[in-house]
Amino acid sequence: MAIAIDALAAVPASHAEAATRSSRWHAYTAVIAAACVMTGVYWDISWHMSIGRDTFWTPAHLLIQAGGLLAGSSSGYVALRTTFAGTPEERNAAVTFWGFKAPLGAWTCIWGCGAMLTSAPFDNWWHNAYGLDVRIISPPHALLAIGIFSIVVGALLLTLAQQNRATDRERDRLAWLLAATGGFFLMNFALFLTEYSSREAMHSATFYYVTAATFPLALCTMARAIKLKWAATAAAAFYTAFMLSLMWIIALFPATPKLGPIYQHITHMVTLSFPLLILVPAVFIDLILQRFDPPPRFARNQDHDSEHQGGLGTFALAAMIGPTFVATFALAQWPFATFLVTSPLALGRLFNADNFVYWMSPTYEATTRRFPPPGAWPIGAHLAIAMCLATAVSAIGLLRGRWMTRVRR
Amino acid sequence: MKRVAALLFAAFVSVVAAAHIGSPNVVFDGSAGPYAVRVVVRPPEVVPGLADVIVRTASPDIQRVSIRPVFWRAGVRGSPSGDVLTPVRGQTQVYSGQLWLMAYGSYSVYVTVDGPRGSGTAIVPVSSFATGRLALPAGLGAILVVLGVVLVAGFLTLVHAGAGESLVAPGEMVTSAVRRRASRITFVMAPLIALALFGGAKWWGAEDFDYRRHLFASPKADAEFTLDGSHRTLRLTVRDTAAFHSIYSPVVPDHGKMMHLFLIGRNGAQTMAHLHPVQTDSLVFTTEVPWLPAGRYHLFGDIALENGLGLTVANEIDLPAAPGEVTPSDSDDTWDRTPTITPLVANEPRPLSGGGYTMTWAGGDAPLQARTPLDLRFSVRDSAGKVVALHPYLGMAGHAIVVANDGSVFIHLHPMGTVPMVAQQVFALRDQGDTTSAGRLITTSLASTDMAGMSMSGDVSFPYEFPKAGRYRLWVQVKPADRVLTGVFDVEVP
Repeated sequence: MAIAIDALAAVPASHAEAATRSSRWHAYTAVIAAACVMTGVYWDISWHMSIGRDTFWTPAHLLIQAGGLLAGSSSGYVALRTTFAGTPEERNAAVTFWGFKAPLGAWTCIWGCGAMLTSAPFDNWWHNAYGLDVRIISPPHALLAIGIFSIVVGALLLTLAQQNRATDRERDRLAWLLAATGGFFLMNFALFLTEYSSREAMHSATFYYVTAATFPLALCTMARAIKLKWAATAAAAFYTAFMLSLMWIIALFPATPKLGPIYQHITHMVTLSFPLLILVPAVFIDLILQRFDPPPRFARNQDHDSEHQGGLGTFALAAMIGPTFVATFALAQWPFATFLVTSPLALGRLFNADNFVYWMSPTYEATTRRFPPPGAWPIGAHLAIAMCLATAVSAIGLLRGRWMTRVRR
Repeated sequence: MKRVAALLFAAFVSVVAAAHIGSPNVVFDGSAGPYAVRVVVRPPEVVPGLADVIVRTASPDIQRVSIRPVFWRAGVRGSPSGDVLTPVRGQTQVYSGQLWLMAYGSYSVYVTVDGPRGSGTAIVPVSSFATGRLALPAGLGAILVVLGVVLVAGFLTLVHAGAGESLVAPGEMVTSAVRRRASRITFVMAPLIALALFGGAKWWGAEDFDYRRHLFASPKADAEFTLDGSHRTLRLTVRDTAAFHSIYSPVVPDHGKMMHLFLIGRNGAQTMAHLHPVQTDSLVFTTEVPWLPAGRYHLFGDIALENGLGLTVANEIDLPAAPGEVTPSDSDDTWDRTPTITPLVANEPRPLSGGGYTMTWAGGDAPLQARTPLDLRFSVRDSAGKVVALHPYLGMAGHAIVVANDGSVFIHLHPMGTVPMVAQQVFALRDQGDTTSAGRLITTSLASTDMAGMSMSGDVSFPYEFPKAGRYRLWVQVKPADRVLTGVFDVEVP
């Protein structure tokens, strides 16, 4: 680490600025691609919940594919141009990949596009071999999710590299763009965990295990990587805003099922449930980092590459963040789940607690109106285990965030 | 990994169809309101999956044919809107399309025909179960392996770049220390990726195992014999054999019988008995077994459920010798023993066992060919060579039993095709609301066994589609007078 930092101290400003200017459009393009992909994924899930029958050419599929291709092709163009026609500054701001030159984020986008493309024939065969799946978690979908995840990470890296080289107002602007991309990053986790996040499951151990094993990682990464005082909060706020916007807007469109059996006679698109309240633990993560992992992370005009001085170590921070995440998340989500499951006020457009998919039978629907009986262990024991999980992934997230702050190319 | 390797190279595993053995395609001859139609439904081998539907009609004035899948539990109200079929290019009055069968269980394809004489709907019951899984084609497997290797190599390169070069400021040299550190981190990541791939393979294997566990398997009939003086009594206890239960609804009578039981001799299918056991408990059936010599037999029993599902229960049994003269327990029981090969020859009258009647294979409407819908046409004539009028036998002008010589295919046909008549009736009753909310049918209206409006001419035909090439034996049972007579034909299907 010291080597990189020492090396940076001697960076000629012209190199960094020239490379920044010439590749900024690519960072914005990658973020737009990530937005297309995540919106498409949400729309596609909603499509399967409402209409059911789809083809390669549904608008949701096209949006996902357009996002993937936009990220992959723009990154491919950057790689070819940098390799064969790049200025010395551009080449010096790139990493080498099998002899070609491009920023790390570009390669991550290309890799993600490749994973998405690979998942397509795999998923098609999977449907032919095992039947059209009406679920999110399957091996080909996991590969697709990894590809999508990589495109979001690629967009993050491209923007990060810009942020990490920028100063003043430009750095703030890029930090906010990063926070928006962080919202997609969180959304990717949330969508993949949809099947474990049903309202009636929110008092179960599994729900707290899966959320503890994922969201602290993403939030800690964002909190350290984005040069904002309230970085995790901003990313979580973007996540919440994206999810709510899509939940409210897509539900306005008329739709009827094209597959049967139909048990819910819907007339409009069914959208995903109310977003998880990760905004609450995100605030606490930011507070912990502000107190115990002090600037220069978010000091506006300070050299962003200085070593952290006077803060706790990563593992001590993780030991604070993990339990705090689980405790504050449970304190917020538990009563909110009670509201969603039991209160008639939760029904309707605002809280969307009656977003029943067309194939949900009346008997199954009844199970969503109550929480399943608790398991043999008290929930406190499960939350304690979840805290350990959250601590472990928080440490990974903090390390990953620190790495991200150091990405220069 | 072994499981994945097996997946890569396994052939398509195909098991039995629900309503019959080895013959999953549904053929229906009948009417949709005023329009005569023949409907062929080829169910998918995986569920959810796409069924192919072909509708042929003799009516030239048809304007539109549409189909919709109706799942028993959800009824017509719970089915999606219909899809309009498209005319088949190069053929007249033939329409085709596809529909999704999304759930396991009892479906009907509702075929609605619109024309100047109004609109009419035919109900074609279809069983929906996964019966196979597709192997990964070698070419696709190779492509995926290559792409997978590229992705893994690319990922490791990303890790190396991310841990090394990407951290060096633009314009700075990448030192050997940075490279060494990047290599160390990549070296640590490689086994983690291998572990992830191994986990993915185990996951795939678990998914595959779970899928195969839920493939349809014919319910089994456990056989038990009681020998006593002039009784050779067979007691059958039906049970599900698959991980899921296909029998979740009571048995209802089809053609007035709770079960149509067929015992087919294992030795080249020379012997066949068509018996009608009595239901003594919900899934227990009892019958006397007269006539047949001792030996090993295929046992096939057709039952219909109150939810419209037609099932064939199967087993192999060792029939003990009869202790004496056994009297049939049902007056409609019949049997045949024809040890010689009797090839299907068009227009060659074949004497039936009694009354001077003959049965003639009238030739198909097309050359016999596997996987092609065709008519198996027969003509029953008296001693003067005149086509006779038939009496209803179990409510039908005729019954045909088709069995592949190796026992891999069994089906019980009627002039209306492969569908159980009672399945159509129960779907129609359900549409009228003649069921309770739990799906229990009000069965009193099933008393009638006669097919109203069916032709009882001695020219009788059975629409069918042989599922595969091979050697088959056909028994055709008709009732030209007071006795049921059986014609036997052996056929080689190319």
